Order: sequence, then structure tokens, then C-alpha cells
Amino acid sequence: MSNQFVQALNLAAGLILLTAVLTLWIRRVSTLVRLIALQGVALAVLVGTVAWHGHDQQLGLLAFGILALKAFVLPYLLRRVSTQPGEAETDPLVNVPASLLAAAALAAISYAVTRPLVALVPSAQVRATPVGLTIALIGLFVLLTRRRAVSQVIGFILIDNGIAVVAFLTTSGVPLVVELGSALDVLLAILVLQILTNRIQAVFGDTDLDGLRELRD
Amino acid sequence: MNSAAVVVLGQGVFTVLGTLAAFLPPNRRAMAAGLATGLLGATGFATGIVAFTRPTTMEVGSGLAQVSIRLDPLGGIFLLIIGLLALAASCYAVGYVSGPSASRTSWIALTLFIASMQLVAMAGSVAVFVVGWESMAVTSLLLVWTEHQHSRAVRSAGLWYAAMSQLGFLLILGMFALLVSTGGQSQFLNMHSAVSTGSPLLRSGVFLLALAGFGMKAGLVPVHVWLPRAHPEAPSHVSALMSGAMVSLGIYGLIRIVIEVLGRGPIWWGLLLLAFGGVSALYGILQAVVATDLKRLLAYSTTENMGLATVAIGAALLFIAAGRPIPAGVAIAAALLLVVNHAFFKGLLFLAAGAVLKATGLRDLDRLGGLVSRMPTTARLFAVGALAAAALPPANGFVSEWLLLQSLVQGERGSSTVTALALPIAVAVVALTAGLAVATFVKAFGIGFLARPRSEAADLAVESPMAMRFGMGLLALIVVILGLFPTVVLHRIALATTIPGARPITATWARIQLAGGASLAPPMLVALTVAFGALMAGYVRWHGRPRRTGALTWGNGGVRLSSRMEYTATSFAEPLQRVFDNILRPEQDVSVTPVAESRYLVERVGYEQRVDDVVETRFYQPLLAMGAAWGEWGRRLAPGSVHRYVGYVFGALLIAFAVISL
Repeated sequence: MSNQFVQALNLAAGLILLTAVLTLWIRRVSTLVRLIALQGVALAVLVGTVAWHGHDQQLGLLAFGILALKAFVLPYLLRRVSTQPGEAETDPLVNVPASLLAAAALAAISYAVTRPLVALVPSAQVRATPVGLTIALIGLFVLLTRRRAVSQVIGFILIDNGIAVVAFLTTSGVPLVVELGSALDVLLAILVLQILTNRIQAVFGDTDLDGLRELRD
Repeated sequence: MNSAAVVVLGQGVFTVLGTLAAFLPPNRRAMAAGLATGLLGATGFATGIVAFTRPTTMEVGSGLAQVSIRLDPLGGIFLLIIGLLALAASCYAVGYVSGPSASRTSWIALTLFIASMQLVAMAGSVAVFVVGWESMAVTSLLLVWTEHQHSRAVRSAGLWYAAMSQLGFLLILGMFALLVSTGGQSQFLNMHSAVSTGSPLLRSGVFLLALAGFGMKAGLVPVHVWLPRAHPEAPSHVSALMSGAMVSLGIYGLIRIVIEVLGRGPIWWGLLLLAFGGVSALYGILQAVVATDLKRLLAYSTTENMGLATVAIGAALLFIAAGRPIPAGVAIAAALLLVVNHAFFKGLLFLAAGAVLKATGLRDLDRLGGLVSRMPTTARLFAVGALAAAALPPANGFVSEWLLLQSLVQGERGSSTVTALALPIAVAVVALTAGLAVATFVKAFGIGFLARPRSEAADLAVESPMAMRFGMGLLALIVVILGLFPTVVLHRIALATTIPGARPITATWARIQLAGGASLAPPMLVALTVAFGALMAGYVRWHGRPRRTGALTWGNGGVRLSSRMEYTATSFAEPLQRVFDNILRPEQDVSVTPVAESRYLVERVGYEQRVDDVVETRFYQPLLAMGAAWGEWGRRLAPGSVHRYVGYVFGALLIAFAVISL
């Protein structure tokens, strides 16, 4: 196994992890969107590395697709939402230092949970899977603690990225059809959420989810 | 192609045709769909005949999709019941349906309802049985809900029925799961030998689940509560089919599983069935005797009759456990004959009650009356049904009660102590039930049809259309034929009581001979009854009627008797209600309004009485209140905060991780 491959892989995985943790810290929406775009690039690099290492042309093609979707299309859509006023995350339910500590705890949990998985095939590729799980958990955490609709979308994208990382690292790429399907799913969900956000904004002048308590039963 | 395949295929064809006919425009729909469902019933009847002459099993397809049809005498009896009832109810429905009950959905549901009942009676394997059973429950639920837009009572009745029938279905599913896992055999044909070596605990589990599940369909106390709600609210041709055919299939299931598949068991099985049957019979007829809603009365009487059939099955189990096949055979024959007779007279009574309902818009006996001159045919046909329900000759109810009592009395000889104690009690229960049944149906006919009308609606009633009278007449004819020549069906019933080594009943056209020595000649009995009646009539004629005088009895002020002074259903049942006060617990409310000037003068006295189902108020309502409280508490988990919901997911995920990694 070439050393370069391991280094590239770790770099990409680290970048993904870093961007995910940073989403907890940063409040300005435009910066958040940039972080998501950067994470998309890192994910594409990760997939590309795996493809290059395994000489898998289909996977390489997929890396370009991921690059287009996650580094350009989704950030573009998000930016359109975030140009509206009042979108900055004002005060999260859990403050930033506590969120960062929680992220550390989530990472620890992910490493603990994936240990049997890593022990199964201790290659460099599989060693990096806890990163994917951590990101998915951080995404859920963002959904849980952030109030704005845009932040919810970002949490959702984080979850999807986390799942994608785990999928690519453990199986060297799920079948193309499945990956395309899930990517389309995310795209559609983002579109729906974008429209929903605009609607909420138009009706209530605000997108604080805690104000939406009446929509039950 | 043999005859069995032809008739079964015919049923399939008419099911499809009935469904298609419902799509015709409304003016032609009733005729066409009614014809198709009637023919579906007739082919089902033919299948029933084939089941006797040439018992067969057929299998189509393989694996999970295998459809296994088995035509045997036991199922054949129920095919005959369903077929004839469906035929009569379809004729009746052509004249009866209007509004929602004439809708496309309603006709399709009716067709599928009949077809699925037939499928249950023809099922050769567990899978077919379960599919038929569930489709029967769902289509009948649709039919009960027909009038859901018009009244709250219909909606609540439907909910009760839906909940109870689905609960019953789950129990039956569990029962079959146990049964198949015990024996490894899902065909009914070979199941008996497969499960006979199973552990006693498992067999008892199967027995209890079967009793609970099938008892729910048969309307046994305490799981009867859906019956007096659903039967009155359903359209009357549906009530007739449900009460006559569907409820009987509960007894079919009991016989099929408990007698045929399980067979010999511990003695407490039989005692438990005797207890449940006896309580159901007594409680049902007591509620019926005080009921004022005509269809509710009939529904409670269904519980009574199914209770009697269960008593007979329980007695049969006791005899089987004691190794005495002959009285066991008589008891099962009694159960089957009870079910057959009940199906026809109860179908007839429900159809007649529906005719009254259509003509007057009333089910309340306290407001009916005087119909014998306004609806003469319906009144006479109802009288035939009432005679049968009161178990009096010449109608068919008498023979089955005789057979039931014979089997209980005969079986006492040479049995164990417990049995020797239980059977006399059962005899007493049956006797008391029979007496109360007479009172019930004297009330139903006397108050409902005789005397003067108690309301304007009853006064303005007119006779039902031809199609309805034809449907009722068909059933009345069957009731009388079965009363005169019960051997027509006893032959077949003797074939269906499949207890090895027993030939308990020999029946010629005029005489039933039981193996124990007792015998009965129904035509002779009827002839005697008729002769006695003729003698009485002749006597009255000969001596002349006492001279009539024109004075008014109790007409002190010269006022003619008004209908307000007549007996009502409530007052007729009052003495009995007083006797059974502890069980029925009626709620009475007397309000006295004095005249404004003096409190010693009374302007008006209001009297109101309600007899609620004690089982419902004491058992189900606390249970439901508890469930509702639990649900209210559960609502606090869902306050509407999105973050809380995501938090649940997050928490569940973390807990799952913790469990995996530990």
C-alpha cells in the first residue's frame, strides 16, 4: 500500500472532520456555506483517492459528480436562501464551547462503536471510517441544537456526507445507481427545504423553529 | 372437469360479476348486483351439496401462493347456510337498499363479504382460512359503516366492531401459529394426527386462543359487546347475513379446531366451554328480554343461541374426554342443528325487522304496534320466525333444543363427578333460557305488531315491496320445512359429526332415533299441535263466542282507550326485569313536575329507563378510560418542538451505539 495514498486519504478525512467541527463554531451563514462547499471538495478528493488507488474508473467519474453536486450546486442553493436578512444563527440551544466539547464526545463514541468494524479489516481505508460516523452524529447534533432553518439544512447535509464517507471507505463505493439515487434524494430534499424556508420566512418573518410549536397532532 | 371444480369456479365467476354489476348506473345496479349475489349464494349452496356427495380437496398454485380448497361435510353445512341466506338476503336487498346502502361500495362489499364467508367454509389450509377470515371482517366492517354519515351511533358501532374483530383476528392468527408450529402441518386434513403428539401445554394454549378468537366472532360473553352495537346499525340484509352466517362461522371455527383438530383434551376444556356458553346464553336472553330496540333484541338473542351451541360443544368435549363417542356425536349434532336453525330464523327476523324499519323508520318497540293490519305479510313472516326463536313447533327451533337437552340428559349416565354436577346445571340453564326466549319473542311480536300503533310513523306504515317479501318468504319456508322435516338436514349433520366410531343418529324422513334410545317424530308432533289448535278453534266455534257488549272497560269518563294506555315493551318486561334486577342493573329516572299553583297536584310525570350492558359499563369502560388516560399522558412526549423530536432520534441512536459497543 503506497504511503501517498494513506496520506492523501488521511488529509481528506481530516479536512472533512475539521469542516464539520467548524460548522458548530461559526455563526455567519455565508461562512457556513463556504465550509460546506469545502467539505464537498474534501469528500470528492477522498472518493477520487479511493478510485485512483483501486483503479476504478466508475468511482472516479462519481468523484466528479460529487464535486459538482456538493461543492457547487448545494452551496449555490444555500447561498440563495442565506442572502435574506435575519438568517444568522442568533443563539443556539447549546453554546459554542459546549457544542465543541460535545463534538469531541461524539467523535470518541464513533471510535468506540467502529472498533469491531476496524478490527475486521485493519486497512488505512477502513481506519478512517469513524470520521464518517462522527460527521453524521455532528449533523444530528446540529439539527438538535440550532434554531434557524438554514442551519437545519446544513445539519442534514452533514449527515448525508457522513453516510457517504462511511459508504465509500468501507465498500469502496456502493453501486452507482444507489449513490446516484441518494444524491438525487439530497438534492430534492434541499430544494424542498429551500422552498419551505422561504415560505416560513414569508409567513412569519423569521425562521426560528422553536416558534413552530402549533403544527402538531 | 369434475363437479366440485365447476361449482367452485362458478362462485368465482359470480363474485367477479357481482363486483362488476356494482359499476352499472344506479337505476339498474340493484337488480343486476342483487341477481349476481343471489346466484353467488345459489352456487355456494350447490358447492355445499357437492361437499356432501363428493368430499374433495383441490390445490391450485404452490408455495406461499397455494390455494387449498377442501369440501367436506362440516364446511358443507355452513356453505348451505351461507348460500341460502345470501340468496334470500339478495332478493330482499333489491327492494330494500336505498341511499348509502345502494351505493357501489356497498354492493361490492356485499359481494365480497358473501364470497369470503364461503371461502372460510371451504378453506383447506390455514393460509386460505386466514385470508377469508380477515376479508370477511373487513368487508363486513364496510357494510356496518354504510350509514356512517347519518348517525354517531353507526360510527361508534363500527369502531367497536373494527377493534374487536381485529383483536379476534390476532388471537386466531396466534392460535394458528402455535398450531402449525406444534404439528408442522398447515393443511386441516392432516392436522389432527400432526398435533395429537404435541405437548399438553401447547394444546391448551391453542384451545384457549381458539376459544377467545372464535368466541369473539360468535359473540360470547364477555366479548359480545360489538354484536348489539353492530347488528342494529348495519343495513338489515347485512344484519341478517352477519347474524345468521358470519357469527355462525365462529362456531364453525370452534368445531373445526377444538373438536376436529385437537379432539381429546383435559376435562377443564369442556367445563370452560360449558361455563362460557351457559353465561352467554343466560346473559344474552336476559338482555334481549328487556331490550326495547327490536334489532338490538335480535342481536342479544344471537348471543343466546351461540351460547347454547357452545354449551353443546362443551358437552361434546366432556364426552370425548370421557371416551364416550355416542353422546359426543349427539351433542355436536345438536350444536350444528342449533346453528343451522338459528341462521334461518334469525335471518328471517332481521329481514322482517328491516321491513318494519323501512316502513316506519322505527326500531323502538315502545313506539311500534298495529302493524299486523298494516303490514300483514311481514307480520305473519315475523311470527313464523318468532315461533322458531321461541323454540315452539311447528317451526325449526324446537327440534334443536330437544336434541341439545337430549344430549345433556343422556350424557349424565356413568360420567365422572364433575361432569355429573356440571351437566344438570347446563340443563337448568338451557331450560331457563328457553323459557325466557318465549317471553322475549312474545314481547317482540305482541308489542311490535299487535294492538294499536303507538306512534304516527307506525300508523302510516305500508307493506314492503315484492322483492323484500319474497326474500323473507323464502327463509320462512325453510324455517317451516326444517321444523316439519328436520331430518332433511340431520342426515347431513350426522355426516359432519366426524367422531370416529360413532353413529349417534339415525334419521328417517319422519323420525329421529338417537343411539341412546330417545326418539322424536317431528311431523307427528306438528300434527298433534295442529290438531290441538284445530280442536280449540272448533270448541270456540261450537260454543259460540261470548256475547259482546258495547260498554267500555275502565272507560269511566267515556274516553276511548288510547294507544298510550297499552302495554309497552318496557312494561311487558318489567316483572322479569325486577326478578333479574341484580344482573341487569337498570337505570331508572322518575321526574315529577307539579302544577305551578299547588305542589300537591301533579302536572306531568316523566319516567325514563335505560338498561345498559353491564359488561360494557363495568368492564370495558374502565378499561377504555385507562387506555385514554395513558394516551393523554403519551401526548406529553410530543409537544410539537422539532428539536425535541430530533433529540429522540439522536438519543435512540446513541443508546443503540452504546448497546452495540458494550
